[in-house]
Amino acid sequence: MVQVNRQPASNQPINLRFRFQKLGRLMYISHLDLVRTFSKIVIRSGLPLWFTEGFNPKPKMVFSPPLSIGVESKTEFLDLRLTERVDPAVALAAMGRNVTDELAMLEAYYPTHKLSDIRYLSYDIRIHTTGASQALAEACESSLLADHVPYLKKGKKGAPDTTIDLRPGIAQLSVCYEDGDLHMTAMLDADPCSFLNPDRLITVLKQTQGILSDPDLTREHVRILRKQALLADRTVFR
Amino acid sequence: MSETPNMASLLRTVEKPGRYIGGEYHQIIKDKSAVRCRFAFCFPDTYEIGMSNLGVRILYDVLNREEDIWCERVYAPWQDMRERMAEYHVPLTALESGDPVQDFDLVAFSLQYELCYTTALQMIRLSNLPLWAKDRTEDCPIIIGGGPCVYNSEPIADFFDLINIGEGEEVLLEIARLYMQMKQEGRYTRREFLHEAARTVEGVYVPSFYDVTYNEDGTIRAYTPLYDDIPTKIRKRIVKDLDAVPFPEKPILPYIETVHDRITLEVYRGCIRGCRFCQAGMVYRPIREKSPDTLCKNAKCLYENTGYDEISLISLSISDYSRLPELVDRLLDWTNDAHVSLSLPSLRIDSFSEELMKKTSAVRTGGITFAPEAGTQRLRDVINKNVTEEDLMRSVGIAFRGGKSNVKLYFMDGLPTETDEDILGIAELAKRVVGVYFKLSKPERPHGVGVTVSVSCFVPKPFTPFQWEKQDSFAELERKQALLKTAMTDKHVRYTYHDAKVSAIEAVFARGDRRLAPALALLVEEGAMLEAWEEYFDYDRFMDAFRRTGVDPDFYTTRGFGTDEVLPWDMIDIGVSKAFLLRERKRAYEEVTTPSCAESCSGCGANRLGGNNRWCK
Repeated sequence: MVQVNRQPASNQPINLRFRFQKLGRLMYISHLDLVRTFSKIVIRSGLPLWFTEGFNPKPKMVFSPPLSIGVESKTEFLDLRLTERVDPAVALAAMGRNVTDELAMLEAYYPTHKLSDIRYLSYDIRIHTTGASQALAEACESSLLADHVPYLKKGKKGAPDTTIDLRPGIAQLSVCYEDGDLHMTAMLDADPCSFLNPDRLITVLKQTQGILSDPDLTREHVRILRKQALLADRTVFR
Repeated sequence: MSETPNMASLLRTVEKPGRYIGGEYHQIIKDKSAVRCRFAFCFPDTYEIGMSNLGVRILYDVLNREEDIWCERVYAPWQDMRERMAEYHVPLTALESGDPVQDFDLVAFSLQYELCYTTALQMIRLSNLPLWAKDRTEDCPIIIGGGPCVYNSEPIADFFDLINIGEGEEVLLEIARLYMQMKQEGRYTRREFLHEAARTVEGVYVPSFYDVTYNEDGTIRAYTPLYDDIPTKIRKRIVKDLDAVPFPEKPILPYIETVHDRITLEVYRGCIRGCRFCQAGMVYRPIREKSPDTLCKNAKCLYENTGYDEISLISLSISDYSRLPELVDRLLDWTNDAHVSLSLPSLRIDSFSEELMKKTSAVRTGGITFAPEAGTQRLRDVINKNVTEEDLMRSVGIAFRGGKSNVKLYFMDGLPTETDEDILGIAELAKRVVGVYFKLSKPERPHGVGVTVSVSCFVPKPFTPFQWEKQDSFAELERKQALLKTAMTDKHVRYTYHDAKVSAIEAVFARGDRRLAPALALLVEEGAMLEAWEEYFDYDRFMDAFRRTGVDPDFYTTRGFGTDEVLPWDMIDIGVSKAFLLRERKRAYEEVTTPSCAESCSGCGANRLGGNNRWCK
């Protein structure tokens, strides 16, 4: 296919950052599917997209660390490369028209920090489990704040299982008992090399504290919500 | 499905939960209290398959354009979800509202292939509705069947209240209007409604209003209408002017990857060819094209509303579109600049050109598919494929020189008049295709070549010139497959073939009658579903069900049907006449081809249905 170079020579491509949410049913959409979804959203937005060079040109998009299936978020980031500077308010509206509420666009701005500067992610976790109590909340908290938090990691492709320590990845954590549920807040390592998935904390608590053990799936549930991204100095990333 | 904590808990334990959530961009939500007809459109397969179906997309749009109708989507749950639903007593629900299917007014199924029958019926059960039409009470929805399978709906006739014969755009609206009107006037009862629909809406077949009697040899004696004011023959409905019909400008955009995740642009309906085994080529007649103006408008609109980077031009045989060069050029005016690629599936060997290949991405992905269908010219003439070996060699030459290194060739075995020579001809043809590659100069063939030969088994289909033919026995099909395997000696040729067991079951239902219903009911009661999927297809279970319900499958498969026999689908009029099919059958045995509609009219009879096109007089 003949490619036409649309990038104007005078203008430098520029990254515009969008903060968006991924709530409700969208927790069941994988990161890969989210990326495919956005590749269509950005085209519909009509923004002046910068396309990757080469045989199969695509809009250039970079996302904040992927969410696991089952995790919701109020703070996801997309850096979208444009061929020219656009008023962020105009861009926000153009993107916003092309998403459902669960994927609402919250902010658009020209960033100062790189997405790779995200060092921590904070989560709000509500555990609706039989046996929830103040005592259980305290037990959960101390088991996750112990010197070591062993976690059995399944070996991939026949490799042996290994036990890893989750504790270094837990920057801050508290569990309280609230409205009949366990309510955990946690700030976890988001570095690509040492990323800690909040799911793993739940797995540890299932094993050590026996939470969420009811065979009836409808009686218990967990809601994990990513709330903020933070820099190395623990100030809010944006 | 509704987003209650309960359902959320179930979704966490199943594979691909994204199948069950709905909520996609462009999904239609309406105020329940403001609509008068709730319409559930069911597709008896998974979300990924169903969301790719253009027919469902069109009808969803047509119905939802009406303010007082709300059409929603329903797909079949995968086995894991079905188990969860059973465990927690969750009935089958629609994606948009999350409401149970049983609460809807009209429930329609799109039946695309015979092996989806168990799935459709299982979905009726999962909706907690009576399986048999006769057991449904006044508060049950009306269950409608449609799609290509219902040109012979007899095997499932006892489970459906009403069958829509032909294209649904107008018929379904007329049915919904009649339903609302009778409800409003307070004169709705199931029987009154079905009677009035059968009487007044063309293209409606109500199976329960037709009594069937049989001869002693098991063949059908007669179909007798129970009322004298309903048609003895139900005529297929078509949309006459495709430029004038509404088209879905805002298709739902799935979050998860579906089978055809791209813009599908419907270029025309029908087919000018008359391949004698092909049901689609007959039942979609007469050919009706969209104009390039309409198609260009549609394409631009779809691009802006979806953001897809690929447009696929859809039809039974895209190179037969009379204004293809004009259409492609006009699309290319903007698609290249927008980084949108064009793909042209269903290219015929005799019209594949270098120009077309370069302009589209038909070749970009490294592989290309052609369908010679038979291994010798004699047999290709019998089936009226109307392509020559020269055409094939020329096309693969173009493809190889254009950088393609993988060629896939589709064939059928078990065709009428087939001999072992025809079977071995497939291997010869494949070898010669490989030869074309090695005749190229070294720099023209940097990759190494792969030719895949894929052979499916002939299934005699209703409303084709081969509708009376017998299917090869299962043993004979396997013998032919094995014979071809021994002849496939070229290391550049890969040989794959369809499971003959699947084809045998398809053939039972393709030409089946109402006496198959008890077997289907038994299968469904014992849990059959998603039989179109290899992992759930169970030949032995089918055979067992036939045995237990007194069905002899050979009666429908390896038995040749008599030309004077009453066929189970004789009460349906698809436009193409039985006289034409018989003529074509005779020509097949004479090894004489019939020209396409573009060359001359062969008097098939479909012009009686009307429709805007340049060929039918």
